[in-house]
Amino acid sequence: MVAITATDAGTGGGSLRRLLRRRSTIAVLMCVPLLAVVLGLVAYPAVYSLFLSMLNKAETKFVGLDNFLFLFKRETFWMVVRQSILFALVAVLFKALIGFIAAHTINTIPAKGQRKWRGMMMVPWVIPAALSTLGWWWLFEPTYSAINWLLAEFAIPAVPWLSQTFWARFSVIVVNVWFGAPFFLIMYLAALKSIPEELYEAAAIDGANAWQRLVFVTLPMMRNIIAITVLFSIIVTFANFDIVRVLTQGGPRNSTHLFATYAFRLGIESGDIPLGAAVSLFMFPVLAVLAFVILRNVRRRIQAI
Amino acid sequence: MAIAAEARAAGRWLGRTASLSRDRRWALIASYACLVVFAIMFLFPPYYMLVTSLKTNAEIAALTTNPWIIEQGITFEHYWGLLAESSFPIYFKNTVIVAVLVVAITMVISVLAAYALSRLKFWGSGVLATGIFLTYLVPDSLLFIPLFKVVGSLGLLNSYWALVLVYPTLTVPFCTWIMIGYFASIPKELDEAALIDGANHMQMLWRVFIPVALPGLVAAAIFAFTVSWAAFIYPMAYLYSDDQLVLTVGTVTTLIRGDVFHWGGLMSGALLAAAPPVILYAFLMDYYIAGLTSGATKG
Amino acid sequence: MTASGSRMSRRRFLGGTVAGAAAVAAPYVKTSHSAGRLSVGLWDHWVPGANEAMEKICLDWGAANNVEITLDFITSIGNKLLLTAQAESRAETGHDVYSVPLWMPSIFRDSLEPVDDLVAEIVSRHGPLVGVADYMAKFDGSWRAVPAPTGSLTLAMVSRLDFYREHAGIDLQTIFPAGERDPALVATWTYDRFLDAAGKLHGAGFSFGAPIAPGADSQGWLGQVFNAFGAVLVDAGGEIAVDSDETRAVLDYLARLTGFMPEAIYAWDDASNNRWLISGQGSTIINPPSAWAVARRDAPEVAAQVWHHDVPKGPAGRFRTSVPFFWGMWKFGQNKGAARALLVDLNERAVVETMLRASQGFDVPLTVSFRDSDVWETATPPAGVLHNYPVRGDEQVIVAGYPAPPAIASQIFTQAIMADLVARVTADGEAFDDAIGWAGDELAGFMRG
Repeated sequence: MVAITATDAGTGGGSLRRLLRRRSTIAVLMCVPLLAVVLGLVAYPAVYSLFLSMLNKAETKFVGLDNFLFLFKRETFWMVVRQSILFALVAVLFKALIGFIAAHTINTIPAKGQRKWRGMMMVPWVIPAALSTLGWWWLFEPTYSAINWLLAEFAIPAVPWLSQTFWARFSVIVVNVWFGAPFFLIMYLAALKSIPEELYEAAAIDGANAWQRLVFVTLPMMRNIIAITVLFSIIVTFANFDIVRVLTQGGPRNSTHLFATYAFRLGIESGDIPLGAAVSLFMFPVLAVLAFVILRNVRRRIQAI
Repeated sequence: MAIAAEARAAGRWLGRTASLSRDRRWALIASYACLVVFAIMFLFPPYYMLVTSLKTNAEIAALTTNPWIIEQGITFEHYWGLLAESSFPIYFKNTVIVAVLVVAITMVISVLAAYALSRLKFWGSGVLATGIFLTYLVPDSLLFIPLFKVVGSLGLLNSYWALVLVYPTLTVPFCTWIMIGYFASIPKELDEAALIDGANHMQMLWRVFIPVALPGLVAAAIFAFTVSWAAFIYPMAYLYSDDQLVLTVGTVTTLIRGDVFHWGGLMSGALLAAAPPVILYAFLMDYYIAGLTSGATKG
Repeated sequence: MTASGSRMSRRRFLGGTVAGAAAVAAPYVKTSHSAGRLSVGLWDHWVPGANEAMEKICLDWGAANNVEITLDFITSIGNKLLLTAQAESRAETGHDVYSVPLWMPSIFRDSLEPVDDLVAEIVSRHGPLVGVADYMAKFDGSWRAVPAPTGSLTLAMVSRLDFYREHAGIDLQTIFPAGERDPALVATWTYDRFLDAAGKLHGAGFSFGAPIAPGADSQGWLGQVFNAFGAVLVDAGGEIAVDSDETRAVLDYLARLTGFMPEAIYAWDDASNNRWLISGQGSTIINPPSAWAVARRDAPEVAAQVWHHDVPKGPAGRFRTSVPFFWGMWKFGQNKGAARALLVDLNERAVVETMLRASQGFDVPLTVSFRDSDVWETATPPAGVLHNYPVRGDEQVIVAGYPAPPAIASQIFTQAIMADLVARVTADGEAFDDAIGWAGDELAGFMRG
C-alpha cells in the first residue's frame, strides 16, 4: 500500500493537495509502531498511574487530589523535593561542565591520541550503573573504605561518606556525575567534530583568542546539542533510582531520598501505592513545561536551516 | 567586536607566528595534564573493582592490608566461580538476546518514525516529535507498577520477553531524536532526485537514507544497546528465576546472600558485565561520534 | 529422610483429621490420578544448601500426592520477593503458594486467601505458635498465612567472649551457658549493665556496633531497646503514643550508648554489622548467626570467640525482635485444594527439622514446640555457640513496631521512624522534644486509610 501511493506521487502530476494527503498517510503509517510504544507502554500506564494516585491507600475509594494535598503537608516530602532539585541541578551542572571540558581537551590533542583517551573516559558510562554503584559503595563503606584508607595515609581524618547528611548528598552526586559525565563528553565531542573548521579559521583571521572562539563560535554551534543533552540529563537525573537506592537507601534521615526512591519506599515497601504514585508524578508538570520550551526552541533552530 | 578584533589582530599579526608553536606546546601539555586528572577520576573506581575482584576473600575481609593493591596473591576464583559454578553465563546469554532484540526493534521504530517526522511533515508531526521526548518524563520507577497488569495479562511475568516488550520505552524516544537530527542534515535534493527516479518512500528510505545515515544509525544502536544492557528496575520488577534473569539483576541477587556480600564476585561480575559494551564502543566509537549529532548541531 | 518424613506426615494427616481438615485435603485423597499442578514461589534462603533441601521436600510431597510442583526461589535482595508479590497480586496471575515474610501478610491481606482452618489444624497438632505470629498474620480475626517451615529468624546478641572477659569482666558463658541457665544470673543482664560493658569495651577499642539507619537490622535492634523501655510509638489501639517519658528515657539511654559506638553506624546497612564483627573490631552485634557463619570461613579466629545470647532487660521487660516468615496462597490461585494441603503438610515436624538442619540453625520456627531441636546444640566452634540463639529464657518475641497495628507498624518499620528519631537526637543533636515532635508528625501520616 505504501508502495502504490508513493509511486502515484512520483509519476502522477495530480494535485498538490492529494499528494500531501498521501504523504501524510504514509507518514502516519510509519509512525504507527512508535505510537504503539508511546501510547500503549507509556501514555496508558501513565494515565493509569494518575488514576492510581487519586485512590486511597487500600485502592478502594477515589479521593481526587487528596494524596497530593496530604504530601504537601509532610515535612519529609518537601525535603525530598528540595533534595531532588539540588541533586539534579548540581549533578547536571557538573556533568555538563566536566563533559564539556573533557571533550574540549580531547579535541585539542593530536587526532591519533584521541581514541585512547576518549575510550578510557567512556568506561563509567559503560559499566551498568547498578553494578558500578556497588563498587562505589564498597569504596565508601565505613569500615573498609579504601578512600578513607588513602586519606589516612595523608593524615586526613576519615570522611563519613554516607553517614552525615552533607557527605551523603555529596557522595550520591559524585557517583551520578562520575557515571553521567562521559555521556556529555561523547555528545559534546561529536558536536565539536561537526563544527566546520572554516568558522575557526575565520575567527582566527578576526583575531579572536581561544576564549572568544569558544564563546562566539563553539558554544553557539553547540547550542542545540547542549540543550538536548542537558534536558535529557535533567529528566533522567530527576528520575534516578539505582544510585541512591544502592548507596544510602535514602538515609541518613531521608536526606538523600529522590522522588523515585521515596516513591518506592512509600509505594512498594510500605504498601501505599497511590501515595507513591503521587510522589512520582509530582515533578511531571514542571519538567513537562521545561522540556516543551527547550524542545520547541531546538526544533525551531533545526527547521530554520 | 569585529572592529576591535581587527585592530588587535593588525597589531599582533607579525609577532604572532613566532610564539605560536610554543603556545601550542604549552596548551598541549596543559591538555594532557587535564586529561590525566580526568582519567584518574574516571578510572579509579573501576581499577579498585578490578583489584578487589582479584583478591582472596580473606584479603578482602582483612583490614590491615593496603586496599589498593593485591598483597596476598592474585586469585581468579571469583571469575571462575561466576563462569563455571553460577548461572552467570545464562544471565549473560539472556542479556545478549534482550539487548540485540531491543536494538533491532528500536531501530525499526525509530528510523521509520524519524523519516516520517523529518521528511513527511504532516499535521501534528511537530507535536509528536516533541511528545515522544516527553515520554521520558514518566519514569520507569513509576511505570513498572501499572505495567504489571500489561505484562501479566500477556503472560510475560518472569520472562525476559517482558523486557523486550518494555525496554523500547527507554530507547525509542532518544534514538528517534538522534535519527530526526541526522535525517534533517541530509540535503533535500537527494530525496527529490530519488522521487523523480520513481522510488517510493520505503525504497528511498532503504536505498538513500539508511546508507547515508549509517553513522547516525550506529550511534542510535549503541545508545539503545547501552541502555538495555544496563537497565535495572524492569528486570528487578518482572524477573525472578535463574533461567530468565539478566546480568544487572542476576549478578546482584546471586552474590548478595542476605546480609552477606560476596565482594570479589560482585566486582568480577560487574567487570564481566561491562566487557561487551566496552568492546562495542572500542570498535564503533568513531561511528558513534560521527553519528550522534550531525543534524542536531546545526543552529 | 526428607521424603519419608513428608510422606509420613501426609499419612498421619489423612488418618487423624476430623471433618473440617479432611475437607481441606479431600481432592488429594485419591492419589490414583493427577491432582493438578501447583506453582510455589518461595523465599530464596541464603544459607547454602537450604533451597535444595526445600526443593526435595516439595517435589517429594508432589510425587506422593500426584501434584506436579513447579518451584521458584525468589530472593529478598532488592525487595524482589515483595516486588514479585506486587506484580502477581496486581496482575492476578502467578504462583499458587507464595512466601510472605515480615509485613507482607499485612500488605497483601486483601489478596491472600483466609487460612483459619489450616492454622487451627497446625496448632492442634503441634501446639501453639509464638505470639508474634498472630500479630503478623491474623487480621480482623482471620489468618491470611500459615507459618513457613523455614526462614523465620530472630535478632540475638552476638558477642566476643574474649573481649567481654578481658575488658568488661563479664563471662557470657556463665550467664548464658549452653544448657541449664540460672535465672538469677540472667536477671543481671540489663541495659544498664550492657551500657557499662559497652563503655569499657569501647575504651578498649572494641565497640558495640549496630546500625541506626534505614534497613531491617536497625529497626530490629532499636525495637528491642524501645520496647524494653516501654517506649511505644503507636499503641495497640492505633493511637500515637510517642510523646512519653518512656520515649525520653530510651532516647536518653541511646544517647549514652551511641557514645560508645562507631560514628559510621548512621550509614550502616544490614551487612555492616557482620563486617564489623568479622573484622575483629566489634565486641557485640545484634544479628542472626550469618555473621558468625561467614567468620568461620573468612576469620576463624574471630568465629571461635563468638557467642549468641539473650538481649538485655529493660524497665518494661526483655524483648527479642524477630523476622517471622509465612506462606500464603493468593485468592486467584488456580489450585487452592492442593495449596491448602501443602501448607499444612509442610508444617510437619519432620519437614521443619530437615530445614533447621539445612539452614544450619539459622531458622527459628514459629511453632514453639519445634524449638527443642538439637540443631543449635551441635553447632561449633565454640561448642554451644548457637544454644541461646532461639529464645531460652524470659525474652518476649516481637517485631519492631509492635504493638502498633501492623498496617501502621509496617510503615514505622519500613520508613525507619525509630532509627531516624534516635539519629536526630544522637547524631544531629536535636532536642528530645523536637525529635519527638517530628516523629509524631510522621506517625500522623501513617494513619491514612
